[in-house]
Amino acid sequence: MSIHTQTGRQVQQVTRPGAEKSDVHRLVLFALVSRFKTVRLKMQRLALIIAALSTSVVAQAENWPGWRGPNRNAVSTESHLPVHWSPDEGVRWSTPLPGAGVSSPIIWDDQIFLTSSDGVKQDDLHIICLARQDGKKHWHQRLWGTSPTRYHATKSGMASPTPVTDGTHVYAFFGTGDLFCLELDGQLVWHRSLASEYGRFENRFSATSSPLLYEDLVLVQCDHYGDSYVVALEKTTGADRWKVDRPDAWLSWSSPRIVPVGDRGVGELLLCGSRKIDALDPRTGTKLWTVGGMQHECIPTPVFGHGLIYAVSGPGGKTISIRPGGRGDVSETHVVWESSRGAPFVPSALLLGDFYYLIDDAGIATCLDARDGSQVWRRRFPGKYTASPIAAGEHLYFSNEEGETIVVRANQKKYERVARNLLGEPIFASPAVSQGNLFIRTSSQLFCIGSGGSTSP
Amino acid sequence: MSFDFCCISKRSGPILASVFVVVFCTSTCLQADPKDIDSLLEIVAQAGPQGANSSSVRAASEELTQHGVEILPQLLTAMDVPNIVAANWYRTVYEQIISREFQKSQPEFPVLLLQQITRDSRWQGRTRRLVVRLVEKLAPGYHRSILPTLLDDPEFRSEAVDFVMDRGDKALENGNAQSAKAEFQTALQHAREAGQVTGAADRLKALGVEIDIVTRMGIVTRWYLVGPFDAPGKSGFDRSFSPEQSVDLAASYVGVDGAEIEWNLFATQDRLGQVNLVQAIAPATEAVGYAYAELDSPHEQEVQLRCSADDNLSVWLNGQKILARRQWLNGSRLDRFAAPATFQKGRNRVLVKICQGPQHQNPAVANHWSMQLRFCDETGAGANFESALPVLTE
Repeated sequence: MSIHTQTGRQVQQVTRPGAEKSDVHRLVLFALVSRFKTVRLKMQRLALIIAALSTSVVAQAENWPGWRGPNRNAVSTESHLPVHWSPDEGVRWSTPLPGAGVSSPIIWDDQIFLTSSDGVKQDDLHIICLARQDGKKHWHQRLWGTSPTRYHATKSGMASPTPVTDGTHVYAFFGTGDLFCLELDGQLVWHRSLASEYGRFENRFSATSSPLLYEDLVLVQCDHYGDSYVVALEKTTGADRWKVDRPDAWLSWSSPRIVPVGDRGVGELLLCGSRKIDALDPRTGTKLWTVGGMQHECIPTPVFGHGLIYAVSGPGGKTISIRPGGRGDVSETHVVWESSRGAPFVPSALLLGDFYYLIDDAGIATCLDARDGSQVWRRRFPGKYTASPIAAGEHLYFSNEEGETIVVRANQKKYERVARNLLGEPIFASPAVSQGNLFIRTSSQLFCIGSGGSTSP
Repeated sequence: MSFDFCCISKRSGPILASVFVVVFCTSTCLQADPKDIDSLLEIVAQAGPQGANSSSVRAASEELTQHGVEILPQLLTAMDVPNIVAANWYRTVYEQIISREFQKSQPEFPVLLLQQITRDSRWQGRTRRLVVRLVEKLAPGYHRSILPTLLDDPEFRSEAVDFVMDRGDKALENGNAQSAKAEFQTALQHAREAGQVTGAADRLKALGVEIDIVTRMGIVTRWYLVGPFDAPGKSGFDRSFSPEQSVDLAASYVGVDGAEIEWNLFATQDRLGQVNLVQAIAPATEAVGYAYAELDSPHEQEVQLRCSADDNLSVWLNGQKILARRQWLNGSRLDRFAAPATFQKGRNRVLVKICQGPQHQNPAVANHWSMQLRFCDETGAGANFESALPVLTE
């Protein structure tokens, strides 16, 4: 039931694409019921086993373990997600959140993890765990940040990076230069004050780069006005495995990601920033290749598919489609296509099937052919955009700063808007998907959208 | 160790809570063994860089969590360290103890001690804010009530100044200009942030009182400037031009495109001392400019250099380099960088090198070239000095 993700050895349990949970559930139940009929076990015992089985099937449903989901592509393998909702319809529950934060919620089984910050300097940090079923608070860890930076007055505090979990621990990174590892029950395991050890972050909108898990490492990209670097920490102890300075990196907010490379089985660690995209060996930090052409300030996280990397930076920048696996400066040899259409400053792009989707900050949505970069369609959406779009099943979800989510039919050449859903509160955080529900963080609450009853804690 | 506890009932409400603040009840039944506690606290203090000692620290923290509010005095004392990793481990203990205490029907807290911490600037700001929040929960309104006493407090100064400024605004709304003026003058006297200084100065100006912001903030506004020196690419930061060997205000040099360049006196009219080198020297790319000032100090004094530049800058005081920032395309912002320095009695010579990098790849992006510099004490109040450069007349 579980498969390895595209990231090779970075194993995540995900639902196999195309396998409907309900179908699998029915087949297994049928087999069990038949067997138990023949041995004439008591119905009570049968009920208990069915209950246990149900739990195990649910536990294998898709988690959303970090920034942009299981594969860091913001594409869910779930297919029956809500399409229409409003404050009065389709909201299972909503829970108020403390402080400020544009980090996305992450979900593992029945737990949702979020971060936020508040206080005069935004250095009072929150890591919160809610119950997926009803939004009730499981635990709330409050910690201090080392060195708050400047931040966008309306969009962010120090909680812009999305946390990440491997199902045993949660790793939460903040713009104050602090990385925390917690048990799933909220117990602190270790704390790294990167700002104390390697210099305070100098940032004008607060750091947003979301940490990434790879094998036994936590990878953190720290590009800022001061001394930039990328560091790999051991998951168990928090100690550095390797650290690579990025003296030629300037301020960027992009998140790292891993892409598989055919025969190496190791993957390549991608870092966007400062006019280029670098690839490193994620196990050692050894630099592999570079492609120039990014803007000097990079925010979107690259996506991967068709054996290609799609990196974009704007405004006024471009998407660069790159074939991985090179060595040295491969700007002239590994760039497959470039397109200056629709490059956003903040929102990351989406790749689904043969289509590559962009939404820029002003609301211009662009669909390109992922194979050659030619334009498929282009539309102006209402509102301004900070959140990155996500995809699930046949639909794309674009959430704007006015609290409206535009749902568009995916994987077709013709543009087709399916729904406009207004929640009434600004949305800056990118939504998450898990187990049939959409989780949308607004400026003050977390909304669970979908079926399954409507309750609020 | 014994200390005063105050019993706060959940149902007693804010008024009762504030009354309880001054009615102490000594609790002896909650005493923990101080030796054990100190040992555990000492283990937590070993939390360090690279996640060092996290396992033992975690075990000690979990043991500490088993105790109640009786360990708060020791816990808060231990928590008050610069080591933020250790402080956060202590905080996890604190949060659990506090949360458990509030679940009791009659929570008890050492309110007198807590209040003392909130007012005592020897405690770290973050510890005090944590305690303020607790006392505020026990006695809503407490935070605002202490602000007028914290106008010179390193942690709460900004909020206290805002508080006084608000009082002035309200007085003005009520037509009491005299009272408003007094409040604004108090606010200005204690303000250290540029926004608060200019905010109070603007309000006073509207009431007929002129304020010298430049002197109050220690901003250097008069400079001799020379440039642009040719520095291809980003070579300027590491290249040394003649003014770095000696400043000769009568000298002339070869600049960009072979042009002869010389020192010129310039006085910025920007209220916060921003020097626009594009206007004051010339538009330039891939270049270096120098600014030179002489400042007279009535006595030797420890000062703080605060400065910024676009693209980057290096600063020498009396021949010693006291700050250098290599980063390019930084943007200029007041107080962005700081460095300690010492003014000698009498004449002090300040040399600033400001680099200008290549034109932004987007030609529409303006190629700013600027600097801003001041000398102040550690709170941000202007240092005691006068410019020795001539006053420019029109």
